[in-house]
Amino acid sequence: MAAVFNLNHHAQYVHWHFFQMSVSNILVIVAMVVVFFAAIFIPFPSHGVNADSS
Amino acid sequence: MTRRERRALDTEAYREWNGGYRSYDLVKEASIALGLILALCVVLTILFSSPDEKPSTVQSWARSDPVDFVTTATTELDGSSGTAGYGPPYNHASGGQHVWFIHLQKWLGVSHPVDTAKDFVLAPLRSIAGQPALQAAVTAYESASAKQQTAWTGAYEKNLTKATAGANGSISVPDGGYGPLPTMMSGLLRFAQGGGLDGVLLTSPQFYQTDYTKPLLFMADGSVLSDRAHAEHLLGRQWGIMNETGSYPGQVWLWLYTFWYQIKPFSTSANADILVMGLMGVLSLALVLIPFIPGIRDVPRWIPLYRLIWRDHYRSVYG
Amino acid sequence: MSVAEDRSWTGRLRRRAVGALPPEKLLPDKQPSYVSSWIYVFGVLSLSCLAVIIGSGTILALKGPGWWHFTGVGHFFNSIHLWSVELFFFFMVVHLWGKYWMAAWRGGRARVWITGAVTFLVAIPCALTGYVSQQNFDAQWISTQAKDAMNSAGIGAFFNLLNFGQMYSYHVLLLPSAVVAIVVAHILLVRKHGVVPPFELQATAAKAPEPTATAESVEQETPA
Repeated sequence: MAAVFNLNHHAQYVHWHFFQMSVSNILVIVAMVVVFFAAIFIPFPSHGVNADSS
Repeated sequence: MTRRERRALDTEAYREWNGGYRSYDLVKEASIALGLILALCVVLTILFSSPDEKPSTVQSWARSDPVDFVTTATTELDGSSGTAGYGPPYNHASGGQHVWFIHLQKWLGVSHPVDTAKDFVLAPLRSIAGQPALQAAVTAYESASAKQQTAWTGAYEKNLTKATAGANGSISVPDGGYGPLPTMMSGLLRFAQGGGLDGVLLTSPQFYQTDYTKPLLFMADGSVLSDRAHAEHLLGRQWGIMNETGSYPGQVWLWLYTFWYQIKPFSTSANADILVMGLMGVLSLALVLIPFIPGIRDVPRWIPLYRLIWRDHYRSVYG
Repeated sequence: MSVAEDRSWTGRLRRRAVGALPPEKLLPDKQPSYVSSWIYVFGVLSLSCLAVIIGSGTILALKGPGWWHFTGVGHFFNSIHLWSVELFFFFMVVHLWGKYWMAAWRGGRARVWITGAVTFLVAIPCALTGYVSQQNFDAQWISTQAKDAMNSAGIGAFFNLLNFGQMYSYHVLLLPSAVVAIVVAHILLVRKHGVVPPFELQATAAKAPEPTATAESVEQETPA
């Protein structure tokens, strides 16, 4: 079963001084940060609030 | 009021919620989440599949780089290989890594004994039947003095740097006083290229095998695995701990673990592994104990991201 | 209640369990009004990933460790297993970030934070034993490298990354059991203590009514 995108080739890397990371890993980390802030900022649908249930 | 009393009041204030509720379907939410995740996994599978690079074998190594194979085998024989000098848990050749007076590697002892000369060279050669000249060479080596053996292996290793591989898989080394070594090493090389050494290295006192310690240690002492790893950016100095073969995302959660290996003093220390393990152990404990660490536990209060998270609640309560 | 019931271990255990987690708390149908942010879904997303990991892992275990190398279906389930692991760590870390910025350990919820952090830490060696059980080049490289870290700490004396049989056993049974046990404890603690209430806003605290502590336990719900 072949994949739509073949990732079995050498990765692209970002180099900066001693730091190096694959583009794939950078994308995952960026996605995590984006998802985190999106979850905080995107409005949550509000429903009716009941009175105290005591 | 002391800080302790204030914290105790705080704890009680946040213990129970006595405000409003709304109806909520837990099972429905969990079912939707499960469905979404399953769908996402299937989509990612269809788009990207997963990597599966074939493993190296001692046979493939001996065929593709016979000079490296023979060089490694010689270092196993004379005890100068990485495994031979490793220390516990394989042997007593060194004390292993330590931090100050803490020698955990040494204290836990030799639990997986590996005699590199015997396990990787002499015993496999002894298992080859029907080659009297080869067996005579092994006997000649074993009955020589330690000084003579070192002279042979030292001279052989020195000239192996000038060895070349032939088209038929053999190697040719410039002439020198190597004693029985050329016969032994060409015998071992042929055995490996035929696939026999993979099996012999796996052998243990029982029929069923699952322990690959010996073949993996032998291959790791040579270049066959590290050459492939270098090409795939998997070496330590390439931040390899968090990488995967090909262009797949790797183990991103290990970023901090691999980071330490890139900077001093870890990058130049012979005890890098235990230093990093120790440091990450302390940081992991700190992660678990955040609720009890002053300062770290107060950052969420000082940097009020919570005002965004609970903005609906604050609007409804405080206006 | 009969005298025998009062003294029995079974009776005492049942009363303690039901007292801590009555059915309405275990499976509530309402949640506090302040649970209104998408940040709250990452707990259940992480849990769903764990379910897919275990499901796909079970199929891989049913067919044995070599199967996925030789069949398309096997490779398909291996891929599901890999991506569900990537997503598990992805969502679990976002969940951790959210809970940190909410200081979710407040109000006597330290054990909730502790069990969550321990889950993350135990999941890492669980993943490592999986990587070294792949029986391919990746497994060869990871095991021969990571063994140095284990050996340096003396762990290699009883946890041999190069021993496929041992690593496969840890990966398929021992460590997933540990992860599941800690996750169950984590979820039961969330059910028991409820979702942490928001910080009180100091500046407007004077305007807002003081929350009154009551002895009655309140039904609380959390999706996270």
